[in-house]
Amino acid sequence: MTRRILDHPILGKMEDNNYVSFTFNQKGYKGLENESLAAALLANGIRTLRHHEESGSPRGIYCNIGHCYECRVSVDGQQGIRACLTPVKEGMTVESDGQLPSSKRR
Amino acid sequence: MKEDEMIICRCEEVSYEELKTTAAKYKCSARELKLRTRAGMGYCGGRSCRTMVDKIAATSANDRNRTCVSLKYQPPIRPISFKNLGG
Amino acid sequence: MDNAIIIGAGPAGLTAAVTCAEKGLDVVVIDEYMRAGGRLLGQLYEEPNGNWWNGIKESNKLYEKAVDLGVNFHLNTAVNNIENSNGIWTIYTERETFHTPSLLLATGAAEAPVPVPGWTLPGVMSVGAAQVMTNVHRVKPGERGVIIGVNVLSAAIAMELQLAGVEVASLTLPKTNQVTQDAGKPKEVLDSLLHVSHMAPSPFVRYGSKLMKNDFMKKLGVNFFPKKGVKMWDIPIQLRKAVTKIYGEDEVEGVTLATINADGEVVSGSEEHIPVDFVCIAGGLYPLAELAAVAGCPFYLVEELGGYVPLHNERMESPLEGLYVAGNITGIEGAKVAAAQGRTAGLSMAHHAGMDDLDGEIKNSIKRTEQTRDNAHIQFHPEIETGRKKILQQWDAYQSNKERSVVSNSRGGIT
Ligand code: FES
Repeated sequence: MTRRILDHPILGKMEDNNYVSFTFNQKGYKGLENESLAAALLANGIRTLRHHEESGSPRGIYCNIGHCYECRVSVDGQQGIRACLTPVKEGMTVESDGQLPSSKRR
Repeated sequence: MKEDEMIICRCEEVSYEELKTTAAKYKCSARELKLRTRAGMGYCGGRSCRTMVDKIAATSANDRNRTCVSLKYQPPIRPISFKNLGG
Repeated sequence: MDNAIIIGAGPAGLTAAVTCAEKGLDVVVIDEYMRAGGRLLGQLYEEPNGNWWNGIKESNKLYEKAVDLGVNFHLNTAVNNIENSNGIWTIYTERETFHTPSLLLATGAAEAPVPVPGWTLPGVMSVGAAQVMTNVHRVKPGERGVIIGVNVLSAAIAMELQLAGVEVASLTLPKTNQVTQDAGKPKEVLDSLLHVSHMAPSPFVRYGSKLMKNDFMKKLGVNFFPKKGVKMWDIPIQLRKAVTKIYGEDEVEGVTLATINADGEVVSGSEEHIPVDFVCIAGGLYPLAELAAVAGCPFYLVEELGGYVPLHNERMESPLEGLYVAGNITGIEGAKVAAAQGRTAGLSMAHHAGMDDLDGEIKNSIKRTEQTRDNAHIQFHPEIETGRKKILQQWDAYQSNKERSVVSNSRGGIT
């Protein structure tokens, strides 16, 4: 089952031959080059991008266009990057933001 | 989760209950409600909860001021990382 | 120094950029998204003539035209602040600082949420987020979801999700409370939908307009409105139901759906669990005007336009010298109206840059904006014309106040 909409009745077929590799919380994934990190992660079935700094409650994308800051992750060591506005590149290292050790699940 | 425990401000995790009781107690403006509860003062700058905090304030206080934006905006409107501030 | 800077690469900003560049101005466009087009990117609907309005194609057309004309784009660049001194605007972004005598704010709209217990769970997103995921990124927001909040925007996006093979289990209401208010009352929702009934040739609306001639009938209509809902494009629209809770351990697993009466009160014992893997929140759009606010632009609250809007006239001038506004920052309307406003703003900016003989073109452009509004296929607020009149009245009042205070100040000086 693919989560990508490769064939759309109006928008037509989309190309998906430009995959790049990146990591999220130390695990390897593939995404389409220059699609948003949020889209690449969702296409891999990942919804939880961070945990709330204080309560540790899990959070994912909310607005998907840069307004809400719920999708904050660290990209190549830089914190507070919005996954919904960040194009995926080969070799990117992505980590959840705001995840306190005490609130880490499992 | 009960309706009262429902979160209004996602960034600062301010609940519906807290906003409702604060608004009822102080009959305050949206701006004061924000300062008292921290709703709208988090990372997103109130972009997500602004309209909701406005509405809760408007039910208790009759202060819908038409000419000034009820919840003030302050620069920077996007958080600046320390790296960029340091130059 | 650039002749003109435009913040926001949506339909208004792009059209303004094209217009300015055609008049020979050096133009810079800044947008924090990674692609040009703004909310236009996600739009996809069938027009009454049977043609599809494809937001991606429309965005690309405008973007390419602007690039061909030499417009300089800074995408993926967030603006933090703007300031004016001595007639020059300074625009601070994450990376560079820009300067211009002529600045257009075309920052569009943000979504107003309707809060529901559990709405911070991953898998809950704004309806616009689901639209962008589906139509722009071509990734399904989930396999099966519900949309909370029934309005023009959410109905359109429900259809788009369906088109892409994503199941919408229900388009339904939030529970009414101090925040959701009328959005949780079947009678009020039905009422607002009937205002736009002319544009939706659906069984839902046909059912509506026949029955709902007056208030009494409306109330009756809601009472008789089948609890299962009616189907539009195969999507159940359930005005007699409300989501009381979104549940799930670490992510969305389902929603609790309850029957409500015509006033939005929950019928106890009617709750049922609907398993879904995503939820969309649809509270409508409001003008995103934070940059106008930090610049000190005067505002006015006009509900028909979606909230607080910066004062402006038909030429898209704000009361601040060299500051212009266009698109949804001036009130919530469709992309075509936004583009028409963008053209007017571009012409006004060219005029400000010293270009002569533009008055005729500006007048025509204002007229074309009105025509576009009249012909709009989708109207977000039934009283949009009233709202536009209100803001123009406020503009006039503001200007005459200013003149009066100038006069009285100078008189004060004499006596
Ligand atoms: S999802 Fe809202 S900023 Fe990224």
